[in-house]
Amino acid sequence: MSNHGNEAVTNEAVTRAQEQAAAEGRAQGLEIGWTVFSYLLAGMAAYGLIGWLVGRAVHVALLFPFGMLLGLGISIGYIIYRFGRQPGVGRPVVDRPRKEITGDR
Amino acid sequence: MTGDVGVLASGGCHIFSGCGFPAPGLQDFNWKPFFSIGSFHFTKPILLAIVAALVVMVFFWAAFRKPKLIPGRMQSLGEIAILAVRDQILRPSLGRKGDSYLPFLVSLFFFIYIMNIMELIPVLQFPVPSRVGFVWPLVFIVYFLYMYLGFRHQGLWGYFKTMIPAGVPWPIYIILVPVELLRFFVFQPFTLGVRLFGNMFAGHLLLTIFTIATWYLLSLSVGLAYAAGSFLLAIFVFLLETLVTLLQAFIFTTLTATYIASSVEPAH
Repeated sequence: MSNHGNEAVTNEAVTRAQEQAAAEGRAQGLEIGWTVFSYLLAGMAAYGLIGWLVGRAVHVALLFPFGMLLGLGISIGYIIYRFGRQPGVGRPVVDRPRKEITGDR
Repeated sequence: MTGDVGVLASGGCHIFSGCGFPAPGLQDFNWKPFFSIGSFHFTKPILLAIVAALVVMVFFWAAFRKPKLIPGRMQSLGEIAILAVRDQILRPSLGRKGDSYLPFLVSLFFFIYIMNIMELIPVLQFPVPSRVGFVWPLVFIVYFLYMYLGFRHQGLWGYFKTMIPAGVPWPIYIILVPVELLRFFVFQPFTLGVRLFGNMFAGHLLLTIFTIATWYLLSLSVGLAYAAGSFLLAIFVFLLETLVTLLQAFIFTTLTATYIASSVEPAH
């Protein structure tokens, strides 16, 4: 009987840990998604602005779109550098809560 | 609101009656003021925002006025609400250390949610965040807290240093500085606010379009079939909006929690 009770408690703890892991994954995914979107816009805007200013000074209008494309390229490169190599991204984070169940913390 | 919906309500404007479709638009987001004090106009969205704030305050006050070990109905509801925000929004981002931010996040979540859900409540039927002026103050509060906590926990220089990851060659820093500055000060807060505004604006517009179209197409002709289709779509959008209102409040609060986490723990 007590074994059944322990099993039920363990199952409940596992379910709770899985739910927590899913919630952590959701929060992380949301943050990364919107940060990436912000980087894409910021890269184009920053280098588009620089391109536009330089283009105005040297009378080459093409520097504005060129700056935007360059900014987009820089953003994409930076996004790959920063998030493409981050451990845990795109992988389910089920290992961390397991520690909690076994009483490591 | 302009007269379009008023004309429809009076019942005269249907298909084949020589009346063009009064398409909803930006005019449906402008309200005649209840009263004005100088250049300040007290309109329906302001009233709804105040009502939303009062609902949140009164609900939690009533729930936890006299907390008991065996909770009553109101206290149980309040506890469910608080635990939902704690377990689904706060803890995943901030862990147990972040529990001191729970009152802020609970208030923020329910204030936004109540303002959003007003879109679906008859008579009220207007989502306050579809007026962007109600969103920017929320973004400002979140961003002010975000920066304040960052400066307090990491110092001015340390805070800006964490924006760019360590270990990259110095020429890369020069390339990234404009991108990072613009992302942090302009686009991150912009996307935080515009997402909430855009979703509520679009949702309200869709609901208005299909509701007005149902009434407009209603006639003893082939229009009746179109009206039925439009009515089904209005129901579908209504159901969709019940999810969107909750989701947008959830996303706004979750992102706020992750911002706070990145300020408090730079390595987050």
